[in-house]
Amino acid sequence: MIETFRRLGRTPQGVLGLLLLLIVGLACLLGPMVAPFDPEMIDFMGRYAAPSTRHWLGGDQLGRDVLSRLLWGARTTVPLALLATLGGTIVGAVIGTASAFWGGRVDEAIMRTVDAVMAIPGLLLALLIVGTVGAGSLNAALAVAIAFVPSMARITRSVALSVRRLDYVGAALARGEGAGWIVLAEMLPNVVAPIVVETTIRVAFAVMLFATLSFLGLGAQPPAADWGLMAAEARRTLHQAPWTMIGPAGAIALTAIGFNLLGDGLRDALNPRDER
Amino acid sequence: MTPLLAVEDYTLGYRVAGAVRPVLKRLSLAVAPGEVLGLVGESGSGKSSLAAAIMRALPRNAREEGGRIALEGQDLRGLPERALRPIRGRRIGMVFQDPSAALNPTLTIGRQVREVLRLHRGLNPAAAQAEALDILGHVGLRDPAAILRRYPHQVSGGEKQRVLIATAFATRPELLILDEPTTALDVITGARILELFATLLRETGAGALYISHDLALVAHVSDRIAVLRSGRLVEQGAARQIFVAPQHAYTRELADAVPRPERRLTQSTPGPALLELDGIGVTYGRKRLFGPAPAPTVREVSFSVREGEILGVVGESGSGKSTLARALTGLVPHADRLRLRGAVVGRMGRDYRRAVQVVFQHPDASLNPRHTVGSQIARPLRLFGGDVREVPRLLEQVRLPADYARRYPHQLSGGEKQRVAIARAFAARPALVICDEITAPLDVSVQATVIELLLELHRLHGTAYLFITHDLNLVRQIAHRIAVMQAGRLMDLQSDTAIAAGEGAPYTRALIDASPRLDLGDRP
Repeated sequence: MIETFRRLGRTPQGVLGLLLLLIVGLACLLGPMVAPFDPEMIDFMGRYAAPSTRHWLGGDQLGRDVLSRLLWGARTTVPLALLATLGGTIVGAVIGTASAFWGGRVDEAIMRTVDAVMAIPGLLLALLIVGTVGAGSLNAALAVAIAFVPSMARITRSVALSVRRLDYVGAALARGEGAGWIVLAEMLPNVVAPIVVETTIRVAFAVMLFATLSFLGLGAQPPAADWGLMAAEARRTLHQAPWTMIGPAGAIALTAIGFNLLGDGLRDALNPRDER
Repeated sequence: MTPLLAVEDYTLGYRVAGAVRPVLKRLSLAVAPGEVLGLVGESGSGKSSLAAAIMRALPRNAREEGGRIALEGQDLRGLPERALRPIRGRRIGMVFQDPSAALNPTLTIGRQVREVLRLHRGLNPAAAQAEALDILGHVGLRDPAAILRRYPHQVSGGEKQRVLIATAFATRPELLILDEPTTALDVITGARILELFATLLRETGAGALYISHDLALVAHVSDRIAVLRSGRLVEQGAARQIFVAPQHAYTRELADAVPRPERRLTQSTPGPALLELDGIGVTYGRKRLFGPAPAPTVREVSFSVREGEILGVVGESGSGKSTLARALTGLVPHADRLRLRGAVVGRMGRDYRRAVQVVFQHPDASLNPRHTVGSQIARPLRLFGGDVREVPRLLEQVRLPADYARRYPHQLSGGEKQRVAIARAFAARPALVICDEITAPLDVSVQATVIELLLELHRLHGTAYLFITHDLNLVRQIAHRIAVMQAGRLMDLQSDTAIAAGEGAPYTRALIDASPRLDLGDRP
């Protein structure tokens, strides 16, 4: 683990990704404390205020401070995206490993089901789920998690198939171990490396998917300071006050880029053949 | 007289994680024209690095720190790529360990052989074809024209190695570097390939550097032998003398570790039948809708293992030895009847799983890299009702320190890992341990200590072994009886004394004759 971080520190993408995520993480932790204004404080005099020393990133259509809203919004946007990705990843990884372990008809059945679910685009599936269970942040997280399961299952299965043939799985079978132990304790720990990389990249997707859902009015509800919602509201005022759009869009982009770079860095750091 | 190849005071290191790790240290050796120099040493001794250095095919992180490598007086170090091209392949030929990896699978053998002839001898296509037919015929390939038309996967490993040897000799090289050329082949095929070498070397008068970890084999083919240990030359001398009268303690140690059938290591007598196999058959794959059913890998094998017996199973690769082991541990479905201590085994239940344990060939693959040694040994204890506090005792039993329990497999050496696998098998207090080629990936001295350990555990617990191996010399040292398998069938089952007396099926005798033995004179 420490070794991985040391190696990560030697990749330029890893360092940059960690740095960006550190900023996002600090915003999540300390955002409300350092925010200059209350995110829901309406100021009619400050409507469409241009960026200035008072409002660093300007004010929106109700005169709320964009920077303060971004700092508060990090708390709802980023942890939810992480939660959804982790949920989808864990379920997908277990399904994929189990599928590779059983093989044969079971594998066939699981994988064809996964194919069928994958045929529906992720956003459409998420819309479908939120449409069924109702709008809201937690429901959106659930929808994103479910949308991530099939592709994670697929990726994990392909890695787990090679692990399945190794002798330690054979040794466990020969001892008479149960399927649960073999899948969870013998195989799963040995397929984590590619899963970790995939997960970090997917967090970026999740942030964007959340933003999209909130944008469409199915995720966070006003007046919440969610980044996606902020971008959705800014759409109408884009011409009068472009900064209301630039703030949340930039925050989403930075987070997405940060996770993507971390994923790239991890891919190199977890590759034992890469001598760095 | 200038030697053909002279390596003088040569030092080489690899740059790993910022530091240079030395591989060869002030190494000096020479090959005279027409001479075969055997180079022996355990893994990590720098044998293959030396071959790469001579061929100038060193990896990017290699650092050469002094000394020289001269071919007929010309230093090869520092020669530009252009100057090396006419030397590699033409003046220095090379034959690698794995013939499947040395041939390009997407080109026909003919194209690859003709390419060498065109490049190094400047033959036109028609002449190259004629020459290719001629040289393949010369290395004892039956239908050269057909072989040339085929792709590498369509011919056997032995045939591939013959093609590579023919190609290596075709350019009339002055020096040949042979890096474990028979290790990937069957015993009988390997013996034939060695005869072929000897003939070709005599005919062409080329010198050779023969690299191998198999002392008996090297003593067989070389004129002189150099012993390498962690990058240093320990000793060199005439092939017949060096192991009979070693000057250096390490050479003596190596020679003593080579299994010799005359030196029996087992004295126990087996008891009544423990595990009876009645017509075991294994077939991989399913019958397709169209087309014939796949051929069985193991057919109708019947024998029994007695209590406390060491039963050796030998055979060439693909003879079904390992499949048999997998069937007995329930890893592949099989059609058969098994009886454990007289009781028919239906579904392999807890009693059977406990009584029959398995140790696999590669400890890297059989130990889970993400679990500590201790938790892996403790697992059978938990499953079969033992005390987890026994782990230190089990480690001690395989002569590993108790604090190894906290380590992960990658922190252990190959021999230590195999000891952990053995400790795990013995944690269940089994009646029979199936050892599937467990010493094959180990160095000869490590192999000797693992065998010693197995025999000690055998004396201590009276455990029976099904010892699967391709090394006849080794199995003749320890087994009470030896089963010989060929193409999935049990060909022969003889007691050790019968084999020593020269009895047995013709195939058994052929295997024994093909296994090179190390002659130590009258040294005990």
